[in-house]
Amino acid sequence: MINDVNNLGSIIEINAEERDLRLVGLPNEENEFVYAKTFLQKSSTDTGANLYDHLSEVLNKILSERPENVVDFFEEYSRKIKEKRFKPLTDHLEDIYVEPGRYRQANRLMPLLKPLPPEEPSTLDPEDLERADMTKNNMLDLLSYFELAGLGLPRTEMFCLTMSMRQLIRVEPIAKIRFWGKIFGMNKNYIIVETELKDEEYSKRNENYNPLPDSKIEDIVGDQLETITKAQLAGEGEPPKLWEVLPPLPQIQYEEPPEPPSEPSGVGANKNVYYVCSEIGEPWVQLPDVTPKQIRVARQIYKTFTGDLDQPIVSYPFFPGSERNLLRAQIARISAGTHISPLGFYTFGGEGMGEGGEADEEEEEGNKGEIKENPKYDPVPIKDLTDRSMMFWVHHNHHILNQGRTTWWNPNPLPETGLDEELGEEEEEAKPVVMGPEPETGPPLLTPCSEDVTLDAIPAWSVRSSSGVAEEFAVAIVRSNFWPGAYSFATQGKMFHNVYFGSGLKTMVPNFSPMPLPPVEQDYPMGPEIMEIVDPTGAEEEAWRIAHLPKEKPPKLVGEEEMPEEEEEEEDEDEDEDE
Amino acid sequence: MNLNEVLDSLHVSEQSGHVISTEEGIILHNSLLILQNENHFRKIFFWGRICGTDNDYYVVYGYRSDALHDRIFYYSTNCLNWGLLPKPKDYALKLTPLCTARFQGDPALVLDVLLEKDEISFGDPLPEPQVKKLKEEDRLSATVHLINQEVAVVPRGALYKRTDGVIVENRAFEGLTPLEARELKSFLHFRQPTRKWNTNLLTRDDYNYAIDFLDPLDVDIPEGCWLQNFTAGEEMVVLKSLYWPGMVFFHEIKTPKYGFVYFGTGIKCLDVPFFLNGLYPVYEDFFQGK
Repeated sequence: MINDVNNLGSIIEINAEERDLRLVGLPNEENEFVYAKTFLQKSSTDTGANLYDHLSEVLNKILSERPENVVDFFEEYSRKIKEKRFKPLTDHLEDIYVEPGRYRQANRLMPLLKPLPPEEPSTLDPEDLERADMTKNNMLDLLSYFELAGLGLPRTEMFCLTMSMRQLIRVEPIAKIRFWGKIFGMNKNYIIVETELKDEEYSKRNENYNPLPDSKIEDIVGDQLETITKAQLAGEGEPPKLWEVLPPLPQIQYEEPPEPPSEPSGVGANKNVYYVCSEIGEPWVQLPDVTPKQIRVARQIYKTFTGDLDQPIVSYPFFPGSERNLLRAQIARISAGTHISPLGFYTFGGEGMGEGGEADEEEEEGNKGEIKENPKYDPVPIKDLTDRSMMFWVHHNHHILNQGRTTWWNPNPLPETGLDEELGEEEEEAKPVVMGPEPETGPPLLTPCSEDVTLDAIPAWSVRSSSGVAEEFAVAIVRSNFWPGAYSFATQGKMFHNVYFGSGLKTMVPNFSPMPLPPVEQDYPMGPEIMEIVDPTGAEEEAWRIAHLPKEKPPKLVGEEEMPEEEEEEEDEDEDEDE
Repeated sequence: MNLNEVLDSLHVSEQSGHVISTEEGIILHNSLLILQNENHFRKIFFWGRICGTDNDYYVVYGYRSDALHDRIFYYSTNCLNWGLLPKPKDYALKLTPLCTARFQGDPALVLDVLLEKDEISFGDPLPEPQVKKLKEEDRLSATVHLINQEVAVVPRGALYKRTDGVIVENRAFEGLTPLEARELKSFLHFRQPTRKWNTNLLTRDDYNYAIDFLDPLDVDIPEGCWLQNFTAGEEMVVLKSLYWPGMVFFHEIKTPKYGFVYFGTGIKCLDVPFFLNGLYPVYEDFFQGK
């Protein structure tokens, strides 16, 4: 076939030449042009393309696009055109009009963008139907402040987030809702909202509240160890001959210190309930409450998030739970450490409360540090807010103690348990128990940030004014240096917001170093059987042998002489094995 | 990041959470135009922001003819007055990785860096701990240099080596296809190549002399030190390095738009081995009793 084409081409050429020679004899402009064109139009033997069409396509593209310095990239243009030619344009089993990723996203977002259906008339008490206040959650408003602080998410995402939050408060019993921030994971990110549930919901949860920690996971490990030991024993078959009685199995001497109970829902580190999702439009997932142990272990490990809530955490010390628990623990730590407000925004609300039956409880808590918004808050001037000393910013979240709780729990058993625990502790404070460890205390609520510790010469906070030019509209921005990504801003009006955009890891100075393993435990109590002694040298053995030679007995047959030596050797072996 | 994108950085910020605020953007845009004119730069780019405890450093760069070798860096603490960032000095390059303190925001500040016993950065192991001085300006230039060396990225085909050896931006670059964008080897280190030219060329089947002259990203160790994410609609691919948290590379698929920007503390993260869950399958078997 190819040969045919070639032949055909050459035949045409030969014919043309012969005709020219015969008819004209002299070079002619028109004919030269025809020759050249026929040459250029000759198809390639490999691909079937011809230079004439290719050049005209390239020139057409260059002329329509008119790029600068095109001569430098001429090859590129030529290659692009060629590539396009060999790409099948309609080679799909199913025609694709929109790229799949975009299509999926559009489908996910559409339900959010439809107006909410009208509510059905309900027989419930209208108070129960009250929804969280969304007026402070216009994310586009917040975005303008975030932008001033140098933070932000795409505008579309912020808008859809508002819509998504609005749907969330319809389906969940939420009393307060707030955008908490975004944590970036390796594969996916988490968008997090902080909510306070309604009081009834909290009390419903606390009905099943069990102050004793869940020991399920420890059980699993213990069971595993037991089965392994059993299997080993079974596998050994008959016991070694030298032992008549097996020594008892070693007992674990280490006793785990009593685990502090987790705080009930709605209190302390579990005051808020968090909902997360990876992408707007996906369903919100509620995070479980945090236990003190999770917080303590989270302080000792250093793991980024992957974006999968069920990802197991492989770490030492063992983290009880999956990534969702770690996420919740980190959120609790970040909230406790970085949620700050301008001085005076919150006050201790002890007396002013009188809301029916709950007043008693609240008052008691109020004494300890229940805070509420100050209705007479006078905005702090921006000059003070941007003061380097951080005197005008206060913490409004409870400090988490080393124990992993916001309130100290006495490891010595108390008569009161469960919900009365808080109360019990207060009594205890009133008449201090003599025995027992020193209670841990943290800084009280509304402590100024100026009293925060510095970490290896790094100050805890950096504070800026958002604008050097337009001071009238500037907002004060505080950046945490311990939790990179934690920001707070306060406007000159009565507004402030804490937000977190980061990887969920605390600054380590200089670097993270994993916790060392604990010292090895003794299997058996110390005794002569397990004492380590130096092996006798050859000379010593020889001396011993000579000293123990039967001397008095007269020499006998050779075979009898060897007997005692063999016995000695056996004894030696025994000793070796004892060690 | 190209100057024109400075004003509209929200779409890029999705993956890092950081943006350039409107005021910053406008100031940067105008002061950079002036800087570009004064220095006869063909193009000028916003490199990033290094957060200090007192002030932040803004870093920009531009080039006159060669997009790779001719880069000149400038820095500022207020976006208005730009100072030439000196070439990284030898001693600063050695001391910077050992310095754990935060940037403060004062270029004239002199830091004390503690060298521990047996430190081998300066040749022989030190017999005893030693304190060396490091000027913050030198540290800044060394940090910028290290970040450029390790994590600055361009998509394959965006830079073009002319026959005279000069590297220019490829005007025929039309962006990576969605398939290409999923491969790490479609992205190249934006630095003087460290491997031999023919090694880089021959690791690809469809090699091109004018394009494959830089080191690809897939040679970096350990595997998984680059995070490759797509935005929600798969319109943009985003690369992040675990070693330098805050470095974000973005490329809008099928468009010639790409760039990188750094918002961070300027401290390298050495804890990467602890992040990667390599031992996980062994543990899982244990807990399931296999």
